[in-house]
Amino acid sequence: MDSFPIWLSLRVALSATTLTLLTGVPIAWLLARKRFAGRNALEAVVVLPLVLPPTVLGYYLLVVIGYRGPIGRALAALGLELAFTPGAAVLAACVGSIALVIKSAQAGFETVDGQLEQAARTLGRSEWSVFWNVTLPLAWRSVLAGTVLAFCRGLGEFGITLMVAGNIPGRTQTLPLAIYDRVQANQMGEANALALVAVGIVVVLLFGLSRFARLRY
Amino acid sequence: MRHSLSLGLALAWFALGPGSAAAADPPSLTVFAAADLTFAFKEIAPRFEKATGARVALVFGSTGNFAHQIRQGGPADVFFAADQSFVEDLIAEGVLLRETRTLYAQGRIVLATARAFGPKLTELRSLLDPRVRHVAIANPVHAPYGRAAEQALRRAGLWEALRPKLVFGENIRHTLQFVQAGAAEAGIVALSVANVPEVDWVPIDAAMHAPLDQAAAIVRRSPRPELGLAFIQFVNGPDGRPIMKRFGFMLPGEF
Repeated sequence: MDSFPIWLSLRVALSATTLTLLTGVPIAWLLARKRFAGRNALEAVVVLPLVLPPTVLGYYLLVVIGYRGPIGRALAALGLELAFTPGAAVLAACVGSIALVIKSAQAGFETVDGQLEQAARTLGRSEWSVFWNVTLPLAWRSVLAGTVLAFCRGLGEFGITLMVAGNIPGRTQTLPLAIYDRVQANQMGEANALALVAVGIVVVLLFGLSRFARLRY
Repeated sequence: MRHSLSLGLALAWFALGPGSAAAADPPSLTVFAAADLTFAFKEIAPRFEKATGARVALVFGSTGNFAHQIRQGGPADVFFAADQSFVEDLIAEGVLLRETRTLYAQGRIVLATARAFGPKLTELRSLLDPRVRHVAIANPVHAPYGRAAEQALRRAGLWEALRPKLVFGENIRHTLQFVQAGAAEAGIVALSVANVPEVDWVPIDAAMHAPLDQAAAIVRRSPRPELGLAFIQFVNGPDGRPIMKRFGFMLPGEF
């Protein structure tokens, strides 16, 4: 069995989860704590990837990052290419999963008692310090839940990836694409084996996480 | 929490970091091929590799998707479409090289019956049998074999009567899977994919639909057009032709 799709998918899902955390958590905090113009619009845009069918989303994304698209041309000017690379698979996984991180973390932040944050501020803590030492520790279960969902969604991402990264064996063929490809080619044995690996990864991950969560608190 | 952040960054570095053992060398020729070529090309490509020493990466999928991807810079060297109209469009847009356009096959459609269903259907009319509850065809809006299936059913005067039974596959392999799984008792699929153990089939007269002319061409952005052209010629030549024929394609010069 070709193990390339497994490693690629692990790397893609890990990168995408990290990127969605770095961008999603601040957005979630903004939505939970701040009132600003365009907040409702941002809230709607955030869930858009869950509404549009993945292939359709991929179609639009490809128009933007393809070599004729605005972002594609800007990247090309820097000598970079994103479409049809593993980077595009990471982008696809991010787009597919960021709503899960944002909505979970936002719900977590909203349940944190504002008075506790206020108390920290009266004790002279900066906003940054309040976030790291009060808000996030109190909301970490929600953030973790969102992270797990995002990782699983990233690992299983299919439609957007198929469009923007292609399904190129040995280059951008992720685990879900490889399974689909084997089914298309009537190689059910290999398809089943790869599907089993995907399930195995998630089971091990969830088991490990629940142990970790119990150890910590 | 700060530990988690640094752990996260370390993971990101691992995941995004350059050059790992998993990154394979890029294959030297990338072929985007319509789904109906899956079985035939999986036999032809290794022979081409052996004959030329080049490596071939086969990507199978929907002709429409591929057309969109190639338009946006998809890394194909050669495009084998299930329908020549897609190739013509891309040539008109300057994305494919006109002088490399080659007719490589004509597709045939067959009436497929799920073995699990029992009696093998031998004519389109028997699709009206109430025991046939679902008839699978490829989506006629965008899939060439679906369009041919619709034409054949209209020609036979069955289209309106069968409409409530029709289920649409995304491409021809997907359509066959409906029949393979027994979810549809029967279907109209490409001869090139019909030889699977779960399915019985009879050919449908080619006069029942417009010819399924299939064309290939080299992508303008390809850095190795000669190798791509060599692959097209290999498929069309003495090595490829018997294999294509065995998988049920009619070949150039035969139609």
